[in-house]
Amino acid sequence: MKGQTRRRLSEWVATLPSFVWLLLLFLLPTLLVFAVTFRPADPYGGIGSGWTLASLLTLVNAHYPAIIWRTIWLSLVATTLCILLATPMGYYMARINPARRRLVLLLVILPFWTSFLVRIFAWKVLLHPEGFIKHLLMFLGLAGQDTSLLYTTQAVLLVMVYTELPFAILPIYAAAEKFDFRLIEAAQDLGATSLKAFVSTFLPGIRVGLMTAFLMVFIPSLGSYVIPDIVGGPTSEMIGNKIAQRTFVDRNLPNAAALSAVLALAVLVPMIAILTLRRKESPRDVLIEEGV
Amino acid sequence: MSEILEFVDVSKHYGAIKAVDHVSLSVKQGEFFSLLGPSGCGKTTLLRILAGFEQPDTGRVILGGQDVTDLPPYERKVNTIFQSYALFPHLSLWENIAFGLKVAKRPKKEIKEEVDKMLALIQMEDQAWKKPDQISGGQKQRVAIARALINKPRVLLLDEPLAALDLKLRQRMLIELDLFHDEVGITFLYVTHDQGEAMSLSDRIAVMSHGSIEQLGTPAEIYEAPRTSFVAAFIGDTNFFDGIVAGPLQKHSPFGGTRPVPVDKEYSRLIIGDLPDLECYNDKQIKEGERIFLSVRPEKLRISREPPKTAPHLNVIEGTVEDVIYLGAQTKYWVKVGAYRISVIQQHSRFLLDEIPIKWQEHVWLSWHADDGFMLEKYDEQDENLILTPPEEVGETMEDVPIAVAASEEEYRGDSAAEVPVS
Amino acid sequence: MKHSRLPAIVTWLVMGFFYLPILVLVANSFNSSRYGGQWESTSLKWYIRLMGERDIWQALRNTLAVAVSATLASMVLGTSAAFALHRFVGSRLQKLHYGLIYMPLVIPEILMGLSLQLFFVSLNVELSLVTIGIAHVTFCLSFVTMTVLARLQDFDFSIVEAAQDLGAGWWTSLWRILIPMLAPGILAGGLLAFTLSIDDFVISFFVAGLGSTTLPIKIYSMIKYGSPPLINALSTILLTVTFVCVLGSHYLSNKGQKAA
Repeated sequence: MKGQTRRRLSEWVATLPSFVWLLLLFLLPTLLVFAVTFRPADPYGGIGSGWTLASLLTLVNAHYPAIIWRTIWLSLVATTLCILLATPMGYYMARINPARRRLVLLLVILPFWTSFLVRIFAWKVLLHPEGFIKHLLMFLGLAGQDTSLLYTTQAVLLVMVYTELPFAILPIYAAAEKFDFRLIEAAQDLGATSLKAFVSTFLPGIRVGLMTAFLMVFIPSLGSYVIPDIVGGPTSEMIGNKIAQRTFVDRNLPNAAALSAVLALAVLVPMIAILTLRRKESPRDVLIEEGV
Repeated sequence: MSEILEFVDVSKHYGAIKAVDHVSLSVKQGEFFSLLGPSGCGKTTLLRILAGFEQPDTGRVILGGQDVTDLPPYERKVNTIFQSYALFPHLSLWENIAFGLKVAKRPKKEIKEEVDKMLALIQMEDQAWKKPDQISGGQKQRVAIARALINKPRVLLLDEPLAALDLKLRQRMLIELDLFHDEVGITFLYVTHDQGEAMSLSDRIAVMSHGSIEQLGTPAEIYEAPRTSFVAAFIGDTNFFDGIVAGPLQKHSPFGGTRPVPVDKEYSRLIIGDLPDLECYNDKQIKEGERIFLSVRPEKLRISREPPKTAPHLNVIEGTVEDVIYLGAQTKYWVKVGAYRISVIQQHSRFLLDEIPIKWQEHVWLSWHADDGFMLEKYDEQDENLILTPPEEVGETMEDVPIAVAASEEEYRGDSAAEVPVS
Repeated sequence: MKHSRLPAIVTWLVMGFFYLPILVLVANSFNSSRYGGQWESTSLKWYIRLMGERDIWQALRNTLAVAVSATLASMVLGTSAAFALHRFVGSRLQKLHYGLIYMPLVIPEILMGLSLQLFFVSLNVELSLVTIGIAHVTFCLSFVTMTVLARLQDFDFSIVEAAQDLGAGWWTSLWRILIPMLAPGILAGGLLAFTLSIDDFVISFFVAGLGSTTLPIKIYSMIKYGSPPLINALSTILLTVTFVCVLGSHYLSNKGQKAA
């Protein structure tokens, strides 16, 4: 059929540019990460020819399990803290009047538009031994001259929460806005306490938002590199730091690729889990309707 | 009159769903032709195939003698009024109307003249520079019509153009549409699920169900002589009787059995369960012993407390009144006769206040002329549900239709049953 | 019924948490002390020194060149992608296409950075501003697509059909109808892409070559090895520019909504 062909043609014309771009510059490079893992390094910092398991074997490094474990639990704690803070915020933002809601929304989005590095740097200044917080804590007698705030795991966690929090607030707010708050009243009417009503109606009502928030915070956290690099110390290194170190300091790309492959697999697990869960929640409607 | 438009054996399916199933029909020059049916019956798909937005799997579309099946929408001399009107929101009304001529690169002076003429036709000269979101629904509709008509299409396609309007406005636009059609003399192909709209506007109607045409004819033909249970039930109200053809009439007449009735080949006796035998017009020459369904419209039935005077070809049955619904211009009765619950509509042509109305539980006689019962060529039990279903829900709830309260049914069906044109 | 005050308290505490570091940073940029533990005196000396840093100005020029070209390219690619995804929803090709668009949004930046470096190194492409630009298009494309796609959800496609019905070919429908109507969405996507491109450090760092320092790369090396007060001053300027831009676009879009 001529019209059918025309439709196929226009689909391909509209799809091809972005499809080919991402195929060549996203999918192929990502697969390359796995391939380069099995390549030897050449002495000039490039990729040699032939195949080897050398890089894969470097993963059996005594330091790595600790670093991988730290990466996962730091990301989990940061994600949990973000969701714990974002849930009451989403609830509050969905209930206030539209004018105030616009203001809060703007205030949440504004940091997102400002430079990522500047926001991390601001914390470096605050946490610095000569900085504002240290002076404040010393004045209150909560910290001594030797207490170090910067270059600690706690500092990394704090800044991770600071930078990722908007990504938890926005999906949770989006879900809360669609929530029917009369359900909470109905639950209370049936005898539930405020907390019980909140847990049994509101949380299930925004579960899609919670899942999205989890993905939006947890996955980028796993790949954190700049935050531990700037405010963390040797005891708070994450996989990202090791990848950067292999790439820029040792100039051993296959080793960096091996680590990245591990990170990629670590990212895939929660992503696939959540996506399947979400697909079950809302199966795509079939668009076979006359005149659609 | 010549044929302007022809569908030849057109089919279209989406996956396993047959949206249009081997449809052939032709529309005459200047005609107001309607495709009528519940949602999902394929009428909109057929319209979109003509406009060029959908491609048929099989069959051809002939427009003005030319095969347009493979032409893109912008090369077809048809224009569409969309259900949502689809006015361009970023253009003024003037620019909306001028769009077709501008695209065709017509001279500026001609465009201006034509647009002004159209604005005058729809009486909106003073609002030419407004944007579509600044005018009302009825005005949008008029702009959509002007925008389509300015291209002088061979056929104007209207896809449920009144569905987005409220009842009052719908009635006014109905009259306007009729006037436009008379004025411009273009062929209209009108798609609707509303039988009232189709009845009052159309020269001819094609009733569609499940992708095929159930019946094609003038509004009166379709209403008065439905060929299938679907048509009978979808358009107006009806009663179905399930019986077996028992040959021409001789002595088993429903008039008491004493008077001999002359044998008449045109009429057949019908044995119907626990009812007395009925007589009906057998123009379809259905043979003896065959099972057949009979459709009788409620307003064709007479209801009375006394037995009616006997007359040739008059069917009479006795029953008990189960429900009475007074509707102002008419009264609707539900009468229990054997296993049947028969609806009867009585016009109040001479309703007298001192007359004692027929009441619940009364014993009554129902009668109708044999010519008013129609033997159906096709019967589907599902169709009985249509009688009680609002037209906009037909097709969505075909499986399990709740038994609607008779009174609420009147809201959407009563007026159309009463205002059927006899032209 | 009594409402818990906890959600309100959490919200406003978080707001304090969000803005306290930024306020301290801005204040410190006017403090002549190096670390701002104490207030020595109010001065503009860091700003004056900043003016003399020629590297920073070069880095800014690089950043803008990359951002403008990456934004334009991703607007074109992203709009066409969003159109395809919306119009041909359900086809097998579009399911794959959607997966390709979606993945870059969730994958950690460092993975994308390293994989692109491996790609360019394997092909012996010299790392430069061009490779940074190509990398930026790759991630901006997904953001533009999603923004435009969101606008398309409530777009009435019968309007495009109406244009074709009135004789407009696909080119005319595209330029006269589709693009003007989608302009707000495309611009919003472009604005997002521009901001992301200007701000990107991780990916740029992995695909940057000698002499292709962008502003974030410059800021990073200043944070690691440079003088904090200078960064305070630079950050304050950047913050002011973004705040003015965001508030301005917010005001404009609100006004636009009211007018409509």
